[in-house]
Amino acid sequence: MTTRLTIDPVTRLEGHGRIDIFLNDQGRVENAYFQIPELRGFEQFCVGRMAEEMPVITNRICGVCPEAHHLAATKALDGVFGAEPTSVAKKLRETLYMAFFVTDHTTHFYALGGPDFIVGPDAPPSERNILGVARKVGLEVAGEVIACRKRNHEIISFLGGKSIHPVAGVPGGWSRAITPEERAQIEDTARKNIEFARFSLDIFEKIVLKNPVYREMVTSDTYLHRTYSMGTVDADNRTNFYDGMIRVVDPEGNEFVKYNPSAYGEHIAERVEAWTYLKYPYLKKVGWKGLTDGMESGVYTATPLSRLNVSEGMATPLANAEYQRMYETFGCKKVTADRYQPIHHRLATHWARLIELLYASERMLELALDPELTSPETRNIPDPARFTGEGVGSVEAPRGTLTHHYVTNERGVLTKVNMIVGTTNNYAPISMSIKRAAEKLITTAAPEEAILNRIEMAFRLYDPCFSCATHFLPGKMPLTVSLRDSRGELLREMRRKG
Amino acid sequence: MRGEGTVIIGMGNPQLSDDGVGIVVARAVGERLKQRMHLTVTELHTGGIRLMEAMAGFNRAVVVDAMVSGAAPGTLHRFDPEDFITTKNTFSSHDTDFATAYELGRMAGVHLPEQFSFWGIEAREFDLFGEKLTDEVAAAVSGAVDHIVAQMVEWEGTA
Repeated sequence: MTTRLTIDPVTRLEGHGRIDIFLNDQGRVENAYFQIPELRGFEQFCVGRMAEEMPVITNRICGVCPEAHHLAATKALDGVFGAEPTSVAKKLRETLYMAFFVTDHTTHFYALGGPDFIVGPDAPPSERNILGVARKVGLEVAGEVIACRKRNHEIISFLGGKSIHPVAGVPGGWSRAITPEERAQIEDTARKNIEFARFSLDIFEKIVLKNPVYREMVTSDTYLHRTYSMGTVDADNRTNFYDGMIRVVDPEGNEFVKYNPSAYGEHIAERVEAWTYLKYPYLKKVGWKGLTDGMESGVYTATPLSRLNVSEGMATPLANAEYQRMYETFGCKKVTADRYQPIHHRLATHWARLIELLYASERMLELALDPELTSPETRNIPDPARFTGEGVGSVEAPRGTLTHHYVTNERGVLTKVNMIVGTTNNYAPISMSIKRAAEKLITTAAPEEAILNRIEMAFRLYDPCFSCATHFLPGKMPLTVSLRDSRGELLREMRRKG
Repeated sequence: MRGEGTVIIGMGNPQLSDDGVGIVVARAVGERLKQRMHLTVTELHTGGIRLMEAMAGFNRAVVVDAMVSGAAPGTLHRFDPEDFITTKNTFSSHDTDFATAYELGRMAGVHLPEQFSFWGIEAREFDLFGEKLTDEVAAAVSGAVDHIVAQMVEWEGTA
């Protein structure tokens, strides 16, 4: 007989998502599950529509990462229409994407992930937020975050053709070219982004790494899971957010597989559990062994940290220096000339995210300085003779590999739509980290604030975004924790309003 | 930084059935009032910092959003500023709630409105993909528009 501990994010708006922690007769944590209902009817909503509507439909699935859906959808259309984008079209898409990555990673670090460290893991939630960060680091940081968002949103607006939901992606290219003035604005923005990314890494260094308590927290085994790692790499096996091959390394750091994103069906399967709408993706060729890590378990992670784990260094110089410093700090040995053993300490994901912020900024500058960027050749008009009726589009969303897969009839009308969104990849690891946090705390009869904080930290580090799959709202979320004995009697209830 | 004019922000996802009711209402209010006042209509999918940014530079802001509180579908709720987070999309799962975002904006020197109204319209279907409102919610749109227009006209009178 097991005891069930329920952590219920009872928002006053919707009460769906919840975390169930099962205790055994010894009062120890046996398992932890996330239970989240998904949005319904997406496939039915899409099937029967013209495929070319998808970039503007899917960019509304999620309010947080419309740019990622827009690009994955556009790339899937390149496949459906057999239209290879022009060189400048790929660069314009990637430029928009770098601006998006900068805003998204910045916002996560300052508003969600950073407060746990910068303000402190045991600070009350009323202070453990972006305002607390500004009070601790300096009030000017509030202005810096807002200015960073603003300058990158301007780039996204003119490149994407619309302020929030981009519309410029078309099969075979991009629907607008940029002017020399716009290129100059991108360059200026990229330079400021690089400075801001370095400033952010400096804060992480001073406040987290130089503080023995936080450093211990980052490098401790509280959230350590030796899973497989996944990420997209370029031709040199370096991290790329916009395009490349999917590379998976095993928990020891050996390359397990590298495949074209269109072959995802051969490599990824989804485990369906009766008690949740969620499907847990896993590596088909390793197999599902439950919510557990190790070489024999097909659970994989797709996060900033896992992207760095699969990469032979970063493709830009400053980010690469930070990459090396992170792995050296963890004492990882090199497995190739440029790559280290994977880091499995999940809190290092926050550090990896800042390294990616720096990479995105540097990559944006490279693109801005490319003379081709202002070329008017932004599109290859699809040739009907090359129409295929099927396409897979894949990008690295900030929170994991994002895959769109469309099949159409001969007239381009959708007959099948499948998506694996970024966060979905990480459902199993998120559950494992919640379990680990609960194990550490529940057995020591920790105070309720500590339990709630540590469980929040567990899922925050994955930067989960459930708005594209669910209505579960982590972050500053109201929590109810109910501890029940094996007969279901309530032993203890802990509650925190959002 | 000085601001001017009024912004009405319709929140939600027009592809998620009743979740998009805030957008429908905001557009209709904009149509009704465009001859009468300097009014900007904005659509927003997610809240938090984005919502604060959407208000930057305005003197007054009206936010219309779907709600899921258990009331009858179509019920119109009006909130005081301290109740901001109770509508459906004003919180962002990726950053923060509106109240924190507002404080952040103030800290950063962003000009933000001091006069607000927040409106929630009870949704029936909010996690099913679809471009239509359910009947009960569709029937409530014109009444909601009347209430919001009346309140905005009243503001204008006191300006």
